[in-house]
Amino acid sequence: MKVLHKFLLLILFFLIGTAVKLYPAEMPGKLTISGAIKDKKNGESLIGATVFVKELKTGTTSNLYGFYSISLQEGKYTIAYSYMGYFTVEQTITLTSNKTVNIDLEPKLEVLNEVVVTGQRKTENVSANEMSVVKMDIKTIRKIPSLMGEVDVIKAIQLLPGVQATSEGSSGFSVRGGSPDQNLILLDEATVYNASHLMGFFSVFNNDAIKDVKLYKGDIPPSAGGRLSSLLDVRMKDGNSKKRTGTGGIGTISSRLTLEGPLAKGKMSYVVSGRRTYADLFLRLSNKKELRDNTLYFYDLNTKVNYQIDENNRIFVSGYFGRDVFKNSDFQMAWGNTTTTLRWNHLFSKQLFSNFTLIRSKFDYSLGIPEGQAESFNWTSNLEDYSANADFGFYPNTTNTVKFGISSTYHKFVPGTAKGLGDNSFFTEYSVPNNNVLEHAVYASNEQQIGAIITVKYGLRYSLFQNIGSGILYNFDKEFNSIDSTVYSKGVIFNTFSGIEPRIGVTYSINEYSSVKANYSRTKQYIHLASNSTSGTPLDIWFPSSPNVKPQLADQFALGYFRNFNNNTIETSVEGYFKKNHNAIDFKDHAELLLNKKLEGELRFGTAESYGVEFFFKYQKDKLNGWVSYTLSKSTRKIEDINEGKRYPSSYDKPHNISVVLNYEYTKRISAGMNWVFASGSPVTFPTGRAIIGNKIVPVYSDRNAYRMPAYHRMDVSVTIKDKERSDRKWNGEWNFSVYNAYGRKNAWVINFVEDQDNPNTIYAEKTYLFSIVPSITYNFNF
Amino acid sequence: MKLLKYFSILILFMLFLASCTEKININLDDSYTRLVVDGAITSDTAVHKVILSTTTSFYYNQAAPGVTGALVTINDGFQTITLHESNESPGTYLTDSNTFGIEGRIYSLQIDLPAPINGFSQYKASCELKPVAKLDSIGLHYLDTWEFWEIQCYALDPPAKNFYLFKNYVNGKLVSDTISELIVTDDRMFNGNYTNGVAAGYLSMKKEDEAIKSGDTVKLQISGITEEYARFIWSVQTESGYKNPLFSGPPANVKGNISNGAVGFFTAYSANYATVVAKY
Repeated sequence: MKVLHKFLLLILFFLIGTAVKLYPAEMPGKLTISGAIKDKKNGESLIGATVFVKELKTGTTSNLYGFYSISLQEGKYTIAYSYMGYFTVEQTITLTSNKTVNIDLEPKLEVLNEVVVTGQRKTENVSANEMSVVKMDIKTIRKIPSLMGEVDVIKAIQLLPGVQATSEGSSGFSVRGGSPDQNLILLDEATVYNASHLMGFFSVFNNDAIKDVKLYKGDIPPSAGGRLSSLLDVRMKDGNSKKRTGTGGIGTISSRLTLEGPLAKGKMSYVVSGRRTYADLFLRLSNKKELRDNTLYFYDLNTKVNYQIDENNRIFVSGYFGRDVFKNSDFQMAWGNTTTTLRWNHLFSKQLFSNFTLIRSKFDYSLGIPEGQAESFNWTSNLEDYSANADFGFYPNTTNTVKFGISSTYHKFVPGTAKGLGDNSFFTEYSVPNNNVLEHAVYASNEQQIGAIITVKYGLRYSLFQNIGSGILYNFDKEFNSIDSTVYSKGVIFNTFSGIEPRIGVTYSINEYSSVKANYSRTKQYIHLASNSTSGTPLDIWFPSSPNVKPQLADQFALGYFRNFNNNTIETSVEGYFKKNHNAIDFKDHAELLLNKKLEGELRFGTAESYGVEFFFKYQKDKLNGWVSYTLSKSTRKIEDINEGKRYPSSYDKPHNISVVLNYEYTKRISAGMNWVFASGSPVTFPTGRAIIGNKIVPVYSDRNAYRMPAYHRMDVSVTIKDKERSDRKWNGEWNFSVYNAYGRKNAWVINFVEDQDNPNTIYAEKTYLFSIVPSITYNFNF
Repeated sequence: MKLLKYFSILILFMLFLASCTEKININLDDSYTRLVVDGAITSDTAVHKVILSTTTSFYYNQAAPGVTGALVTINDGFQTITLHESNESPGTYLTDSNTFGIEGRIYSLQIDLPAPINGFSQYKASCELKPVAKLDSIGLHYLDTWEFWEIQCYALDPPAKNFYLFKNYVNGKLVSDTISELIVTDDRMFNGNYTNGVAAGYLSMKKEDEAIKSGDTVKLQISGITEEYARFIWSVQTESGYKNPLFSGPPANVKGNISNGAVGFFTAYSANYATVVAKY
């Protein structure tokens, strides 16, 4: 194993070495066309725009910063630049020397009968050498009816095949049977540890500030790692570099305002976006005293500035600050994420693009009882990351795209400190020791076209994880009883894990309209979430691997068939996957996860497996567009000590899952949206007997997750009516009326067995449902 | 951590602004029958009880069937007491009224059944009788918002790791008479401290037996219990209480201390008391 490790590492360094050696000596006889692809109206970089050389029937796509580079022999070429929802631009270029060609694409705004799509190379989904990946632009997301009119990125991706909400209204999601903590959620490259507001009913992403969302359900690029199941890559807008504009909305529970515009003669642009809820104002109207005196709100603030220093250098500074606050005279609680990203795009040459990033990310929460009482206390917990990344894209010719880079992150975990407040409090201080961890990675990959019909990509990621002092390591015996502890002083590296993560993919084009794709990826996860909640709470405790906790590891195989019909207005795909997770982590029965110094003793380990088939059907034409997806899947776990060591369905095992999303543009001003979701009931453990102890009925349970909740289904509808367009004013508004759970299905959120107050010894089943019909009105505007 | 429960209740209040409940039909299978033991010996001089019953189907909707005719003994390392079965309630086995447990001793229960349950006729359990701090005094404090009285406790927590059980009496009658009403805590957050009147019990004005009037005598019992018993009560409270996907972990069987797969617990604990007369 060791030898293999070293061998693979060698290959990795060889790959990087080759790529670097090729620079700056550019390929002989090759000339490069490069540049940036932007939106003509607001100057936003377009991610993943297609550059297609008609003569050679080959091309490339713009990267995450809108940059593209393509190297060709001397000659005359017709190049088509296209992007979904934009007019295609064709340029004839006579190539005699390296050329910079910056392209501004014009969006197709409200052009009826031609809404959405056509731009992007029509067969993108068939030809692109990636699978298990879904890209959603914010325009599509805005058209989906939502809870209380709050357009939500995470709720939108939960409608995709292979993705499930963890419970009603939750921002937690499970990808292909994985746990919610196996999703890497990045906002401008910074990790967002808890993407939930208000117990998960809303996500932290304010749609006005977001440009582009991409979800990798597998086939995660080697540049990303540290999570097993998925990568959700959320990119903030750069800010309008052409003119000052504003967008906003007044909704049922929150209001939003975004301002953006150019600075320094268009070399610089900014965006500032804020959102705040006012749910607590409604509480004041309540006739219940215990509700009236509560404060409950959340806010988000997104900011970003970018500066184009010159043709070869651009810097971006972006930040996110969000917080939830819940307070009354007896109790307070607050939590939130903060991320800051500093990026520098630099062109070493026309063929070598680089991005250097510094990131800080923090998640923290606190709760307590205010000073003055015997029980007064304050409890805080946080997690902080500092990362430095260097990422390179090398475009030597039309058949190869090389990416490589290195990243390092320092994680600091402060799992929890609780202490008494004031003189009256009888509490002393109790704190769980901090953890310090370093996580590094070096990676390289190449995407290579072999002939006209086969594209392959192969990459390696080598990850290295280190526990460093100061810290306390509790040692446990085989029965998970704590024996003793070891104290490590500051800076001492007391444990190291490392591993190679190969990522391989191949696309075989059968013809212009269909292809077969296959993929294998290995992912490793070194930090984990201690939570046995199925719906997510803010009381998250992340903990690192250690001598007691091996890194989680997953191997995923996927095979897919992609086919377009009817002049590409219908896109279909079928993907099958099999995923095996080693060192899967679960928690013993009645585990104590909060404020527990010996948390590692509560963990149990085993394996998890999931497999399934995902069917996707997307229709985009004229007035009607939308998609239907169906997923058939199975997800199981086998963990020592849990369920007597027998395999059991995971909490996210919902065999049948259907989503239907439709949007109909009735007229220029009126459009309607509908979505319908169906999912098999979540697995649940129910009693199969009872004992009476201390005058109370105590359940005796079935095997873990041997039963299922009733099936979940729900329909949401919305209608959007735009103001009449008037050329004499800049202000444009639209009204959005939406109904969540339109037919009032009482979906069970939880099932409890309740003792009948009037008949002793009698017990009945009772379901709790969160929402019946929830109507809402939102007014959105831009100026 | 009782406090966790406190805030989860508050959060749930917020959630339940929008939520509703409804009875539904859930068909459940039946599992095999197990012996259920619910027994205790305390430092009080009194009749101590061991109740033997069996598990039933979940919707049985009657009192659990008692297990009669068993030989039930308790040994403390010095002597063996044989319990006699009550005539009034079959399945309940009693000591003589002059029996008391002694701090520091380990109490072992042995049950010999006339006929095997789940393949076993002999069951055993043991528990140490832990000492407990004296209560200096108790007080009463009314919480308007929640309409209940807090019983404030004044005592010094000894430096060792302790687990406490509290029970409430009104006019001499035990009102924390179901296991879900017991208050159990560890001293992790206040080890070695004076308790300064922290709430150790609650009397709800909404419950008939707890709604105290001026002049009523309120008594608080403080007991030292083993960690194993504390965890047992916590898990019984979790499993018999209201569950929600936010804070409740996956359901799991409660882990008792009876051998051979029986359900339940045989406990031994000390008890001290303090009283206060309600005046308002």
